Amino acid sequence: MEKSVTKRHQNLWKVPQVNSGQQLECRIGTLELTIAHGVGEWMLFSRSIAEEEADAQVRFDLGEGVPEAVQERFVQVGESGRVILAPLLADRPIVVRPRQPVFLLSGQTTTLYLSTPIWLQILVGDPAVLLKELPVIVPSDTWFGPSTREGELCYAGRTQARHDPAELPDRPHRAITPLTIHNKASTPLPLEKVSLPVPMLALYADQDGRLWTQKLTLTRHEQGDLASIQIESSKTDGDSSLTRLAEPRIDSERSGMTRAFNLLFGDGS
Amino acid sequence: MIQELLANLQAGSLLAILRAAILVAAGLLVASLAGRLTRRVLRQRLSAQTTQLLRRIVFYGVLALFIASAMRELGFSLAVIMGAAGVLTVALGFASQTTASNLISGLFLIGERSFEIGDIIRVGDTTGEVLSIDALSVKLRTFDNLFVRIPNETLIKSEVTTLTRFPIRRLDLKLGVAYKEDINQVREVLMAVADANTLCLDEPVPLFIFSGFGDSALDIQFSVWARRENFLALRNGITAEIKSAFDEAGIEIPFPHRSLYAGEVTQPFPVRIVEPAPPEQKS
Repeated sequence: MEKSVTKRHQNLWKVPQVNSGQQLECRIGTLELTIAHGVGEWMLFSRSIAEEEADAQVRFDLGEGVPEAVQERFVQVGESGRVILAPLLADRPIVVRPRQPVFLLSGQTTTLYLSTPIWLQILVGDPAVLLKELPVIVPSDTWFGPSTREGELCYAGRTQARHDPAELPDRPHRAITPLTIHNKASTPLPLEKVSLPVPMLALYADQDGRLWTQKLTLTRHEQGDLASIQIESSKTDGDSSLTRLAEPRIDSERSGMTRAFNLLFGDGS
Repeated sequence: MIQELLANLQAGSLLAILRAAILVAAGLLVASLAGRLTRRVLRQRLSAQTTQLLRRIVFYGVLALFIASAMRELGFSLAVIMGAAGVLTVALGFASQTTASNLISGLFLIGERSFEIGDIIRVGDTTGEVLSIDALSVKLRTFDNLFVRIPNETLIKSEVTTLTRFPIRRLDLKLGVAYKEDINQVREVLMAVADANTLCLDEPVPLFIFSGFGDSALDIQFSVWARRENFLALRNGITAEIKSAFDEAGIEIPFPHRSLYAGEVTQPFPVRIVEPAPPEQKS
């Protein structure tokens, strides 16, 4: 079901041209990336730094020469120095765990803002061809399912699970998913961990350059262990200033939208 | 007169033999074609194991039909052959007990589906990838690229571990730390190492078991989970990370040691410090 991720490759940031003999140092949140353009080839060096040291601003420094350390080389004959850095969402669901346990009481509705690290597609040349796709942070693997035999391999993520969008820090390497949860059952709902189906979501950017995904709505019904998950067509109500950056990696199927509740919330529900 | 009859008979039988030979040859051709067709059609839809099994059934089934026709052409009666085969089977059965046992075991192995072609299995000391599951034996390719044939009977009788059955695996590390160490601190250091390693799964959570007071160390079992593809990478990575984390936190991994105690009534061992002996002069 995988399809072309970006219909039109867009530069969210102003990436300068990298002509032959030049190198570009990029700093996008936790990712330090050097893209060098040699004669008929491109060279790449990337490194992830700790999240605490990440900058809120995206920086590009254009220099001359070739970097000392090169991890990979890509052969491409062509003069064009165009570089596109296209952000997109992770290729597996991300299991998000709030840093402290959060409980949603019976009959309550809340909206949590959960952030997940983004992936980056590096495209070069004219017409643009894919050089490499890499995550800005290499997330830890995790297993999400009722047992060690059944389940799904996901990435693990930590979040503050904030209620107030104004409190959200500026982080260029993370996309925010607004998740509205309705608890219609009579017992409190522990939000120990939530599996966010990010491969099914599209990526947007607002005017400030902040990354958003579509809004998700989860309803825990009164009876049974089923929850319905709904992907809204836009991020927030009436927000038209958003630019669509990337299409979902996987087409969401309607049948997959109602899952067993413990599959979305872990064993704690 | 008699010679003429003989010549006629020979011509007739020659013709029959020729026909039978053509039938067998055609049978081989058709069976092989049908087998290949089966594989091509089913390869996309079914597993490698089922495809191979069905291909063989088609091949031998078609071939058996053609051979039976060829026998009839030669003048054999099928009923007689079957009767003879019955007697023959008893005789052969006694003579080739092992083969028969392997054959039957093979059927059970295929029916049981405890592993399939492409799986990695461990039988006794042999670990390898299953190349084929045949009537008499299972063929493995070990990781040092050797071809191992294991009789089906052995597989039925012994314990077989399929390493690639489930998507995730647990790695059990047995550690020992010195008696002076704080177990809680050791636990925190180990959990931090597991947390920092991206190959190590967050869930199921790493397991820390204090397994007892050993001879020279506090025995600890630390179990972490990984995707089965990353199992080896995790095993190599995490042990080095634990060692450096222990070194950094000043946690001692002791080697076996022995205290000498001279008894209550005896005096302590007299210890005398001597000057190091001068190096021997070479003559």
